[in-house]
Amino acid sequence: MDFSELEGIEGLRWSWHSWPVSKPEVASLVVPLSIMCTPLTPFSELPILPYEPLNCSQCAAVLNPYSRVDYVSKIWVCSFCYRKNPFPRSYAHINENNIPAELFPTYSTVEYHLGTGPASGLASGLVRSPSGLSGLRSNSSSFSSVSAYSGSGSGLDWAGVGAAVGPAFVFVVDGCSSPEELEALKRELLHTITRLPENALVGLVVFDAMVRVYDLGFTECLKVVVFHGERDLSPEQVKELLGLCQMKQSLGKASAVQKQGFLFPVSECEFNIMTAIEDIHSSPLVKPGHRPLRSTGVAISVAVGLLEGCLINTGSRVMVFTSGPATIGPGMIVNSDLSYSIRTHRDLHNGYASYYKTSSEFYKQISHRLSDSSIILDLFACSLDQVGAAELKFPVESSGGFMMLGESFESEQFRKCLRHMFDRDDDGNLKMFFDASIEVVTTRDVKVCGALGPCVSLQKKNDSVSDKVIGEGGTHVWKLGTLTSKTCIAFFFEIGHEQKAQPSSAFFIQFITKYRCSNMGLRKRVTTAARRWVGKHSPEIASGFDQEAAASVMARLAIHKAERTLAEDVIRWLDKTLIQFASKFGDYAQEDPSSFRLSTNFSLYPQFMYYLRRSQFMDVFNSTPDETAFFRLMLNREGVVNSLIMVQPTLFQYSFDGPPVPVVLDVCSISPDVILLFDSFFYVVIHYGSKIAQWRKLGYDKDPSHESFKKLLEAPELDAEQLVAERVPVPKLVKCDQHSSQARFLLAKLNPSVTQNSTHTEGSEIIFTDDVSLQVFIEHLQALAVQERALSREEEGFNS
Amino acid sequence: MATPGGPRPGNAPPNHNPNALANNMQNLQINQPNQQQSSNVGGTAPRPPNTSPFGQQPPPFTGSRPGPPPPGVFARGPSPPSTPAQTTLPPNMVPARPTGPPPGSRPPPFASRPPPSGALPSSMTGTAAPPHSGAGPRPGPFSSSPLTSGPSAPPQMSSHGPVSNGPPAFAPGMTQSGPRFPPAMGGMPRPSAGPPQSTPMLSSGPSSQPLQVRPSFGSPPAGALSSIGQPAPPFSAPSQAPPFSAASQAPPFSASPQNMPPPPGSLPFSPPVPGVLQSSGSPYGMQTWPPQQQQQQVAPPPPIPGAMQKQQMFGMPPGQPPLPNQSMSLGQTGQSKIDPNQIPRLSTSSSVILHETRHDNQANPPPPATSDYIVKDTGNCSPRYIRCTINQIPCTVDLLSTSAMQLALLVQPLALPHPSEEPIQVVDFGESGPVRCSRCKSYINPFMKFIDQGRRFICNFCGFTDETPRDYHCNLGPDGRRRDADERPELCRGTVEFIASKEYMVRDPMPAVFFFLIDVSMNAIQTGATAAACSAISQVISDLPEGPRTMVGIATFDSTIHFYNLKRALQQPLMLIVPDVQDVYTPLESDVIVQLAECRQHLEILLESIPTMFQNNRIADSAFGAAVKAAFLAMKNTGGKLLVFQSVLPSTGIGSLSAREAEGRSNISAGEKEAHKLLLPVDKTLKTMAIEFAEYQVCVDLFITTQTYVDIASLSVVPKTTGGQVYYYYPFSALSDAAKLYNDLRWNVMRPQGFEAVMRVRCSQGIQVQEYSGNFCKRIPTDVDLPAIDCDKTIMVSLKHDDKLQEGTECAFQCALLYTTVYGQRRIRVSTLSLPCTNMLSNLFRSADLDTQFACILKQAANEIPSGPLAQVRDQATNACINILYSYRKFCATVSSSGQLILPEALKLLPLYTLALLKSNGLRTDGRIDDRSFWMNYVSPLPTPLVIPLVYPRMIAIHELDEKELELDDSVIPTSIPLSSEHISDDGVYLLENGQDCLIYVGTSVQQNVLQQLFGISSVEEISNQFILEQYDNPLSKKLNAIVNEIRRQRCSYLRLKLCKKGDSSGMMFFSYMVEDKTPSGLSYVEYLIHIHRQIQSKMT
Repeated sequence: MDFSELEGIEGLRWSWHSWPVSKPEVASLVVPLSIMCTPLTPFSELPILPYEPLNCSQCAAVLNPYSRVDYVSKIWVCSFCYRKNPFPRSYAHINENNIPAELFPTYSTVEYHLGTGPASGLASGLVRSPSGLSGLRSNSSSFSSVSAYSGSGSGLDWAGVGAAVGPAFVFVVDGCSSPEELEALKRELLHTITRLPENALVGLVVFDAMVRVYDLGFTECLKVVVFHGERDLSPEQVKELLGLCQMKQSLGKASAVQKQGFLFPVSECEFNIMTAIEDIHSSPLVKPGHRPLRSTGVAISVAVGLLEGCLINTGSRVMVFTSGPATIGPGMIVNSDLSYSIRTHRDLHNGYASYYKTSSEFYKQISHRLSDSSIILDLFACSLDQVGAAELKFPVESSGGFMMLGESFESEQFRKCLRHMFDRDDDGNLKMFFDASIEVVTTRDVKVCGALGPCVSLQKKNDSVSDKVIGEGGTHVWKLGTLTSKTCIAFFFEIGHEQKAQPSSAFFIQFITKYRCSNMGLRKRVTTAARRWVGKHSPEIASGFDQEAAASVMARLAIHKAERTLAEDVIRWLDKTLIQFASKFGDYAQEDPSSFRLSTNFSLYPQFMYYLRRSQFMDVFNSTPDETAFFRLMLNREGVVNSLIMVQPTLFQYSFDGPPVPVVLDVCSISPDVILLFDSFFYVVIHYGSKIAQWRKLGYDKDPSHESFKKLLEAPELDAEQLVAERVPVPKLVKCDQHSSQARFLLAKLNPSVTQNSTHTEGSEIIFTDDVSLQVFIEHLQALAVQERALSREEEGFNS
Repeated sequence: MATPGGPRPGNAPPNHNPNALANNMQNLQINQPNQQQSSNVGGTAPRPPNTSPFGQQPPPFTGSRPGPPPPGVFARGPSPPSTPAQTTLPPNMVPARPTGPPPGSRPPPFASRPPPSGALPSSMTGTAAPPHSGAGPRPGPFSSSPLTSGPSAPPQMSSHGPVSNGPPAFAPGMTQSGPRFPPAMGGMPRPSAGPPQSTPMLSSGPSSQPLQVRPSFGSPPAGALSSIGQPAPPFSAPSQAPPFSAASQAPPFSASPQNMPPPPGSLPFSPPVPGVLQSSGSPYGMQTWPPQQQQQQVAPPPPIPGAMQKQQMFGMPPGQPPLPNQSMSLGQTGQSKIDPNQIPRLSTSSSVILHETRHDNQANPPPPATSDYIVKDTGNCSPRYIRCTINQIPCTVDLLSTSAMQLALLVQPLALPHPSEEPIQVVDFGESGPVRCSRCKSYINPFMKFIDQGRRFICNFCGFTDETPRDYHCNLGPDGRRRDADERPELCRGTVEFIASKEYMVRDPMPAVFFFLIDVSMNAIQTGATAAACSAISQVISDLPEGPRTMVGIATFDSTIHFYNLKRALQQPLMLIVPDVQDVYTPLESDVIVQLAECRQHLEILLESIPTMFQNNRIADSAFGAAVKAAFLAMKNTGGKLLVFQSVLPSTGIGSLSAREAEGRSNISAGEKEAHKLLLPVDKTLKTMAIEFAEYQVCVDLFITTQTYVDIASLSVVPKTTGGQVYYYYPFSALSDAAKLYNDLRWNVMRPQGFEAVMRVRCSQGIQVQEYSGNFCKRIPTDVDLPAIDCDKTIMVSLKHDDKLQEGTECAFQCALLYTTVYGQRRIRVSTLSLPCTNMLSNLFRSADLDTQFACILKQAANEIPSGPLAQVRDQATNACINILYSYRKFCATVSSSGQLILPEALKLLPLYTLALLKSNGLRTDGRIDDRSFWMNYVSPLPTPLVIPLVYPRMIAIHELDEKELELDDSVIPTSIPLSSEHISDDGVYLLENGQDCLIYVGTSVQQNVLQQLFGISSVEEISNQFILEQYDNPLSKKLNAIVNEIRRQRCSYLRLKLCKKGDSSGMMFFSYMVEDKTPSGLSYVEYLIHIHRQIQSKMT
């Protein structure tokens, strides 16, 4: 079975499908045991079960098709810990012919629509006010249940309002944007407000040198609370200054309903927030020679404090719209004086970025607060300059937030991104999920090391948690502020020390994803997967290798390392592992590079690694720290397919010769009489060969006699539009002719098989670079792979 | 408007709206021929049109007087004409002078005046026993002139009234207008000149000054005059100049005694200027005490320095002390011998004194501060700007200490001039700035002596000889003066204003910024204080100076601070809340302070909605300190005025306070001992803040509208340090205090004022400034920094000797105030006062200035209060009084009888005032802490003229107004009654005012119709606590309103009106002002005199 088909069923990609039973053997695999898990993979057939899952009383695993069931005694045996659990009364009618969906062998994934209070151990750890959840009654559309929830007096101040409480959105708007930008932004915001569900809560924060929080409940005039942009405020201070802290004191008093006006249901404050948004105006007075004073850090801190103060723990977003770098206060990234430039990679490398460390530290604190309160931080940056995305990446990523780097709020890109975010599903609910967590349950011999992706470790240890930590580790439960159907987390595993498993016996891994829909309904999706242990040198190991998944995993590991160490060291590490990998799985005669072969299962892997080395994730030479942060953030959350596009872009050739065909990502694919469609995830380039371009300029496409040329021109455009439409954030679409300046977007990614140094210059296309081409790389790899292990030399190998 | 005489030489400073100034003066019934017919804004009665030609009418007020108490503005009943006298006038005047164009040419002023010769022709009062010794050239008729004897006048008037232009008709007019001396030519002149003389003058006059003569006199000249007896005033009146200028021409004048006694009954303190006779003014008949005469001679002529003048003593005792004084025989054993009518009492008169600051190259002692006078600046500055405690400077420190008096100046650099006074001239020296001594940096003034053909000049302060700047050079005339001395104001005037050149500016002159900060905490809202403040501000906006330089801002506060964005583009105001009251800041770049023109409408809407916006505010906390700080931060770039309306004790944020008064009460044992500590600021927080404010030129005025203790002692530090002031409304009543709040605020923003000021006083060698005291911030010892200064602020400058002075020389004082006008001009106002030095103790006593001396004693006492037990402060005050009197008794009085208490004439009221001081709010033990704090604070910048009424308020009988109308029509305000309960009858209604409060006391058996007329009620029981004066349509009520309005005008204060009735606390309060009474804790006046007498006697032995 094809790996990707399997993914369509399980939502999982395994780097290795068959796991060796011994630890040393696992280590020799080079590529770690890992699973790329897309928890909310849209399945064509997903059973939704309107009841609570049945948990094993010992390991909390959910009843699944792999459990053994004794229909007579109404007992099921946990497939993970082998504990016998009795079925509850609701399962009384269970028998061989009447089994619940979760036991259907084909339903490796089921979703539970939680009806009664999910006051399980899992939930109680995640949700601060579990008592409030007990109000949930209904199990269908949980709309009414939510109203019961809010009415249960959990301390939410609009409890008396009676309306169901939806997710909360706090818009954090940069008041330093230019008037035109601000107008465009305001237009979009107003549009967004109209599209919000009525029960959604909204808040508005505007910042420049000061941070202004709008009081939307005040009708006499516009009212804002002003925070100083240079003061680092603790969460408690923010709450106190917003007047939100008294709630705790007033809880005792029966009638004390603290009235705050900063977060209000759209239905009640639509006019006010519209007025407030209209009221935002560009802050005047920028000192000549200075950047505008932006207190982005405090603004975010205040917005988070506001949500904390209002005890919104059930899902909320802080959406930051900015058009420049923070220049004052905590989180500042550059002095407002223009004579200081914004940090570059070189500055970071040399330690000249004086604000980088403190700002990153500040935002790390923010990210803890975000995850504690299930708040998502989104960054919409539309600026020609850097805005500090590198510093902001941590909270954005860990909360699962959205990041967009654009050039203008007037751009289509921004509009699409924002609108996409507020898309609704068929039921009219926002396609947005909140307050999610993923729990991993494993067979006893499998230990979980950690996860890489937009998630945060909840530091919950149990027997299945390994001491070895990779990424967010030390836990079997992770928290995600939000997730989408594409969000993909890489989980890493290892084998337990005391391995008792028999080869060819099965092991199980269960992913329990709990999340909240935008209508606040709670769901739990349970995916259970089984694989087999294999013995030493089993061929199943090689045949179970998913090189695409492995490349994605390695890419995540690489960028994870790159966050902490220098890119060169990471590249060295990549080379080392690749050589090890090649030595291990290559088929060769010792010391004879020409004899080196790799089976098809492995053959693409070196190529992926080659392009990964050259990619913007590793080679930051041409990127700003902001861009790099953005790229890495995207790589760290997309699934296998998209990750590979990012690492090794796709290239299609359109010609008169036939339908579009994929061609090698090589400079030699460029030809005057073809159109190339290049997709690197972030960029989509349509590259017209010089002849095609010439014909187009001559207007042949408008000539009815050249219908086919017209079609040829249209085809890649249609395909490109399709690519662009499906993807968020919207990639930048570049149309260019051969030899034009814009063609650099393509050339930079192509394998430089022909360079200025090449001997055979046949007049086609060359790339001016000193980078080694893929062929050279492979040659070196072969040479090194067949050698005896001499790592020090191997490392040198590729740095020529 | 203030320039009755037509065009004046100096250009009126643009910043000082002459109208404004003029209108601020109290008694403006001055003849102002050219006065513009300004619209009658102030609520003063529109003057009959026919009177205007006269120029005699004292319109000044009628104009849009920006002054404080424009009664009309007050919503309550229509206020009566401000100058009721006018109403009576017109009839008389109608026929008179059809056209009164002032003469174009004016004779030169006083320069040529002959020196005074004779002694005072003393009392004129018919009743007064001793005739004046001074053989004035005055004709007999004079003494018996209708004017002198009040009672007789009216009949005459009435009889003459019909005769339109007959001189008699004039007399009544005189009585009114005479006193106020119009400098103007057309104006009514000084009554001083003897009638006979004036006649000739008149006859000759017409030819030379035809225009000056009033038509009324013109026709029936001499005869008519003589028949009147004292028609003279009219004649001299034609111009202020005549008396003086005429002096040379008119022989009679020269002959006139220098010390012309004022007409009897005229002000107790007759002006020193001989020629200047006060006319008629007050009804002398009213005076209750016999020996008024003495009072009239207070001022010996300045004449020959050092020369002691023997003056006749008019006191009861036959002794002839060398100095005018008053002695009483006081039995050592008891007061039985004392005739209560003998004891010195304050007398008042509304007549106007004309005062030349120098005469004959001699300094003229100023008229009493409380009197109504018009100054002609002839070299020394007006006493309004600088008054010295002693008008001759003791040569040595020993002499000064022997006298036990103190040497100090009271400086009020922006004091309101009388509307009839010449405005201060503005001199522009261009880029180079004013000429100054290169060593001591004193400014050029009339006493700098030019030598060497004008090429050099000698500084009168340090004696250094400077080169005259080339372009300032001018040759000297035969008299040794520069030939251009009379054309250059800085060489002939005691006060001039220089346009400051660049070197006086550290930055561009600041705009006029007014920032209003309003308490909206629960208490303020519920008591209506917020609404009152908003309404007051809203009304005042239109009174702010126009122009692009006027900026306003507004903020409210409770436990947080709310700023408002007033930018025009916004559709509705934007409220910006600053929640952090511990570490406060201001919303940056948020258009919190905007040009008035841009936000007028927004501001009005906002002010209207603030009370409703916070209607349901339940926040009781008030973050005063933080709010003030935040507002300050908003104003930091420009500086400006911060007007704070505060209603409760600041309880949160920086500078929060605790109700330590209550703590003090609960801990009585400690409280008693440390009581005065409650009068000290609780800590340094606010002081530190205030110093920072001052540094950035922010002046804070505090309007406290409260029902409770707010710790004024701590709060007041801010206004005091920043040159502001405290207004105190306790207990605040939204009903009756709103109008006062509005009027106070209005006056606050409209009165003449300056910003970012620095003041320094320089003294001639031998004297130096010891200390400044008042409301300001001092960063370096020599200068005082005044973020704002206005016409009501006085600074006390105590002086000390550092060397001996030479007898026969003069000692000069110069106050230089560098400030920015509300219109953004940088100016230096320089006032110079040059006083003779003396070695004679008796001269010191003769030239002592009672009002100034007492003001110093008062201010010092106020300063002492917080630093020690009250008893000690009281003793110090009494001792100061005793020591002075003892010194006089010992060294100057010759009376041998030990049974007599001999008081120097000039200081005869010192014991009374001192007694009143001991019984004042500040030194009483029974007062509330806040009341005392406020009193101390109020006193600190208090101008001299307001000091006396503060401790010794003016009391008048209202119920008799009707009856006396005919007799008293020359003056709006009836004669005051001594503050003794024996003068209060149960069927009377009395009004008592001290410049701040105005109590109306209603006796228990007042006639019902009086009650009905005055208050619209039928019995005393109906009197409510919250009193609003309304005007009913009857003469009595109109009269009362007229009086109240006149007092408001005089005091530049709206006064808090309270109705008191016998038997309740309000009545108790009223009687607590009866300072001459014996009280449980204080002596009666007589007892006090005896006490002092005994003390002196014990010292003598």
